[in-house]
Amino acid sequence: MLLGLLKSLTRTTSFISKEVLEVVRRPGALFSLIFGPFLIMGAFGLGYSGQYKPLNTILVVPSSAGLPREVSFYQQYVGQSVTVVDVTEDVNAARDRLRHQEVDLLVIAPTDVEEKFRNGQQSAIGIEYNELDPVRDNYARFIAYRQVQELNRAIIENTVARGQQYLVQTTGAQPPVQLSPQIVAAPTRAELRNLAPVEPNVVAYFAPAVLALVLQHMGVTLTALSMVRERLSGAMDLFRVAPLRSLEILVGKYLAYAFFNLSIASAVCFLLVGLLKVPLLSPPGQVATVIALLSFASLGLGLLISTIVDSERQAVQLSMLVLLASVFFSGFVLPLDQFIAPLRIAAYSLPVTHGIQLLQDFMLRGDTNHGWELGALAGIGLVLFLVTSVTLRRNMAPA
Amino acid sequence: MHRHGTCQTRAVPETAEDPLVIVRGASRYYEDLVAVDDVTLDVARGTILGVIGPSGSGKTTLVRMLTGTLLPTKGELRVLGQEPRKFTRHVRERIGYMPQHFVLSEELTARENVSFVASLFGLLWPRRGRRVREVLQLVDLWEARGRRARQLSGGMQRRLELACALVHDPTLLFVDEPTAGLDPMLRQRIWTEFRRLRDAGRTLLVTTQYVGEAEYCDQVAVLANGRLVALASPEELRRRALGGEVVEVETAQPFDGELLRAVSGVRDVDQSAPRRLLIVTDDAGEAIPRLLQAVSRTGGEVISSSEYRPSFDEVFAKLVEPDVARAA
Repeated sequence: MLLGLLKSLTRTTSFISKEVLEVVRRPGALFSLIFGPFLIMGAFGLGYSGQYKPLNTILVVPSSAGLPREVSFYQQYVGQSVTVVDVTEDVNAARDRLRHQEVDLLVIAPTDVEEKFRNGQQSAIGIEYNELDPVRDNYARFIAYRQVQELNRAIIENTVARGQQYLVQTTGAQPPVQLSPQIVAAPTRAELRNLAPVEPNVVAYFAPAVLALVLQHMGVTLTALSMVRERLSGAMDLFRVAPLRSLEILVGKYLAYAFFNLSIASAVCFLLVGLLKVPLLSPPGQVATVIALLSFASLGLGLLISTIVDSERQAVQLSMLVLLASVFFSGFVLPLDQFIAPLRIAAYSLPVTHGIQLLQDFMLRGDTNHGWELGALAGIGLVLFLVTSVTLRRNMAPA
Repeated sequence: MHRHGTCQTRAVPETAEDPLVIVRGASRYYEDLVAVDDVTLDVARGTILGVIGPSGSGKTTLVRMLTGTLLPTKGELRVLGQEPRKFTRHVRERIGYMPQHFVLSEELTARENVSFVASLFGLLWPRRGRRVREVLQLVDLWEARGRRARQLSGGMQRRLELACALVHDPTLLFVDEPTAGLDPMLRQRIWTEFRRLRDAGRTLLVTTQYVGEAEYCDQVAVLANGRLVALASPEELRRRALGGEVVEVETAQPFDGELLRAVSGVRDVDQSAPRRLLIVTDDAGEAIPRLLQAVSRTGGEVISSSEYRPSFDEVFAKLVEPDVARAA
């Protein structure tokens, strides 16, 4: 009994040392494993501002409108998200520049705002842009909406200031109150307070997500290749003849690649927190738990791929498909709630989806409101382990 | 869809006299292709069975069935008293296997590879370290123990695989084309090692494409198109191929070989040249004096006479000829 256990342990550990040595002795792989993730994160942290550049805007103001023609006059109203580059009355020339993407936005003022206003009619402000990117399209709409609001406010203020004729009749016997033009134009204002424990910051927000993505990708790619190589080389035949259980191979491989994943995760976390100053608000153990579960599930996914593919090329292709799916459906780039239900289910079957949510929560909030995702991650890992175990067992059975 | 594994399921206890490998009517089909067809053979304890045949004759399929990686479509197989598909761990620990191609890790050193395989077969430290050293020395790779497998030559890689197959000191060794692509010197050394193992009580089943290597085996199974064409000792194979023992006689003058057909023990006479005769006999030793007398009686003069030992290439060609013709 004890001898059997010792032998089983020997078989399992032999796979750990074999896999570790094989990876370590491939300098290219080692380089991309150790330095690759950090280089990606470093380049991302240093190079991504997360800010939209101001929209270059031409204002088309007809001379009959009686409005000012100085760029500086309008710039004070539009804020930092818009740069007024020109004020003109030639709408065609302005459209040409928009068509050639020299500017981002065209605001066409109506000819008779004041007159219509006095007659109790609404004037239309033309907003034109030339955008294919749906995200920037939304942004342009939002900015346009805001500009119109600002412009309306300016008009009301201007008119009220000139006329001083807007009084508010209060209830009861009190005399009417005379209000300032600013209050009439904007009776309310927003006072914002973000309850999140850290100020939103692009690097801090995306760093845990990149870490999760890198860990999953590394785990999947390394393990996807490890077993398929053995199957193709014929080593699996030797394993089939040897007194070896599929579980011993599987556990050995899990432990070997977990060693890599956890080592690299530790190094990257240290660099993130120490160098890029990404906050770590939860106890490190909670982040370590997420990383361990994410690694467990990712290695399972990679090993499952390696037991079902027929070539190294197929393994790489499937790993890349997993990466692609992870980038699109994990919430890394696009919010999950923007997907239809079936796709959200698919998204939640990816380990990285839970990894991103949990790492962001633990690192940046200090806790999570999505505790169930820890269970989901463990569940995915367990299911993958069981399925891989069955598949490998079938692979090792006599053909 | 073919039916797999129809043999009995219970393990039969081994006795010292039992053959270690028993094959009864084993066949393996791949859809329409017959890889092994109705093969029956035994491998006795402490012997070398050479399985000889051209590429595609079914040698590797037979080995894979015997090592439990491939199921027979029909027939019965028993190795070390067990059905291969139901090998226990204990039985697996007694089997050594050297695959046809290099399957070890190219990134590990020679020593690490042998140690890895030793671990797979359950060798515990410190015995593992000792055995690794012993087998590497045995195959002359101890000096190269620190070199990665991919840095070794083809011959060294084969020797490394042999070391891996031997490291756990198996009772029964399956070796699939161990000498393929090796130079004659190295082939000779490997066969010397196999015979040493046999003399030490191990049992070996060795496949080879080199027909001449049959000479080194105790028993030879000749496979062609998946069929067992012959199974016998090398000497017996020679006899079967040529129809008996052959005496080669050279005469001083042209001699009519037909005159010798009446001599007792002569089965056939082949006049390969006017002065050269190949005479098939029941027993060459007994036939030679009678043949010499018969030649003298008819006025002939013998310059030389000896037992003719054809090469195994010739023996093999004669044995598989009918099968090849039938297949064609």
